[in-house]
Amino acid sequence: MKKKLSPGFLLDIFFESLLALRDNRLRTILSILGITVGIAAVMTVGTVSKGGHFIIFSELETFGLKSVWVYRDQADKDPHRAVRAGTGIENADYAAIRAAGCPALRLLSPVVYGRRDKMLVRYGNKYGNGQINGVGADYLEINNDTLMYGRSFREEDISRNRQVAIIGTDVQRDLFGPLSNPVGRDIRIGERKFTVIGVLAAKSRDFLASIGSSGGQDANNRLLVPYTVFQQMTGFKDINFLQAEAISLPDADTAVSQIIRILKRHHSDRFTYKSGTMAQYIRTTENILKWVTFIGVVAASVSLFVGGMGIMNIMSTSVLERTREIGLRKALGASRKEILIQFLLEAILISFIGGILGLILGILAGYSLAFFSHIPLEPSWPMVLVSMAVSIGVGLLSGYYPAHHAAGLKPVEAFRFE
Amino acid sequence: MIRLSNICKSYRLGEVLLPVLKDISLTIGAGEFVAIMGPSGSGKSTLLNIIGCLDSVESGSYHLNGIPIDGAGDEELALIRGDKIGFIFQLFNLIPRINAERNVELPLLYAGIARHERKRLALAALESVGLGDRALHSPMQLSGGQQQRVAIARALVNRPDIIIADEPTGSLDSLAGREIMEIFAKLHAEGKTIVIVTHEEDIAAFARRVIRLRDGRIERDDIRP
Ligand SMILES: Nc1ncnc2c1ncn2[C@@H]1O[C@H](COP(=O)(O)OP(=O)(O)O)[C@@H](O)[C@H]1O
Ligand SMILES: [Mg+2]
Repeated sequence: MKKKLSPGFLLDIFFESLLALRDNRLRTILSILGITVGIAAVMTVGTVSKGGHFIIFSELETFGLKSVWVYRDQADKDPHRAVRAGTGIENADYAAIRAAGCPALRLLSPVVYGRRDKMLVRYGNKYGNGQINGVGADYLEINNDTLMYGRSFREEDISRNRQVAIIGTDVQRDLFGPLSNPVGRDIRIGERKFTVIGVLAAKSRDFLASIGSSGGQDANNRLLVPYTVFQQMTGFKDINFLQAEAISLPDADTAVSQIIRILKRHHSDRFTYKSGTMAQYIRTTENILKWVTFIGVVAASVSLFVGGMGIMNIMSTSVLERTREIGLRKALGASRKEILIQFLLEAILISFIGGILGLILGILAGYSLAFFSHIPLEPSWPMVLVSMAVSIGVGLLSGYYPAHHAAGLKPVEAFRFE
Repeated sequence: MIRLSNICKSYRLGEVLLPVLKDISLTIGAGEFVAIMGPSGSGKSTLLNIIGCLDSVESGSYHLNGIPIDGAGDEELALIRGDKIGFIFQLFNLIPRINAERNVELPLLYAGIARHERKRLALAALESVGLGDRALHSPMQLSGGQQQRVAIARALVNRPDIIIADEPTGSLDSLAGREIMEIFAKLHAEGKTIVIVTHEEDIAAFARRVIRLRDGRIERDDIRP
């Protein structure tokens, strides 16, 4: 024989559950709080991790997300072969790559820094220091550099060996003071006279900014000149590395292999090359972020678990207190299943209310964090769904044991209970 | 029809096994009005709970309307308790947080009846015990006699064949007790089988048959003409 649930059984039992929870207001509130805190913690972790993602992306973007760089692998000096000195990249290689018109490449620039020396710069009687780099016309665009004053290099600046320079904000400050526009002024780098044509906008000096092709140098201390001029100045004939921008982020790897293929062909495979892409850094930081999120989720889950234990405790007490009522319901025709449903419903109700409150709290926390940190933090909507599911799951799991116990009682056992 | 054969029941108290019912055989026909009497601790409630399918037996067999109760599963027992038997308790056992009408509705809820019909039947049952105007009162707002009448309405609402009551007047004053017993007499006249436990002779006087227990055995079984 099978019992059928009445139409509206759930609704009526739900109504009674509400009343039962109201009867034990303090206890109900406490266990709701447990779940609320847990869910809010989970939500906040989700929001913050999404915000972190945003910060990392926008930070990396200031260095050009699609930028790639190629340089010789200095570890390839095999003692059994003839020693090959040099950087493995010559001006002719650069020209050849440009001429080849690689489809994955949008921009390309040589970077020459010689022995990576700092250069003394002078304007009138003021002195400063700068990291000098000889670059091509595409350099600024590849690096997402913007100008505070002036203009970028033009092709003819490079090809005609013009004595022009673009300076970082630190250099500008040292030579001219922070507020004056130095475009058109003549400065001395070493023995030579250069005309300032632009000032780079300042870049963040954070940890994140120190990675990438800038290779740990301070972006605001740069002193950029045409690479051709730099080679004349120093007598250095090669290119230290090539920097390029791929047409899209997924094309970064293709762009790198196109460059390397041409380089190897030109040097008859005498060198090996290494490369870096922003895409790699993005992957790495995303991985780190994933772990951070994971740890956060674990921590939040612990508080959710504690909330679940709270529900379990409260349901056990509630079952104990209502043992007589359970006996009565069974005497009136309730089956084990119907008793189980009733108590599970109560547990789910607690955790659901707790979940909703936690959600609201988590979202508010996210928005106020966003407000105070000026980072556009947004609740992660998948996380909302997950936490709702989790809170109901916690209710089900933690309500199950006490409910199961209650449902299994013989009516007479329940009646005798005091 | 209630048929008990050679029922034994004992409780374990620590190490010792305390026999409460010793080889009880008893048949109660449809439409009988039976009072179970006996000194305190003689096993009256235990016997009544077994008759009401609230407790299991240790040995012996119990058939209700020809159905063996010992082998019945949880859902089957729930159906029998809900449909065939109406229970009335000494302490009324109303659920305090819901009103009289909702209390009376409970057996219908578990019987699978729709909400609207439940409400109609529950109100009719309350009318029949003279509490039609108290439907929305909470149990706390009712006197003991009124509470017991709500409990009777609840026991009757599913139209069971058998009414089982354990000292239904035990918590009431004699006037209220009398009113309750008059309802029982009326139900008996309508053809219900009624089994009550009591230790008051004037309550037992409403019944047509009195079974006296002593030490877990039937001492006497008198049927009045
Ligand atoms: N659950 C139980 N555990 C142990 N002993 C019980 C239990 N229920 C009843 N008893 C004992 O069984 C005996 C009969 O109880 P009961 O049927 O309630 O008697 P009555 O209703 O006649 O007073 C009593 O001695 C009582 O203490
Ligand atoms: Mg008793």
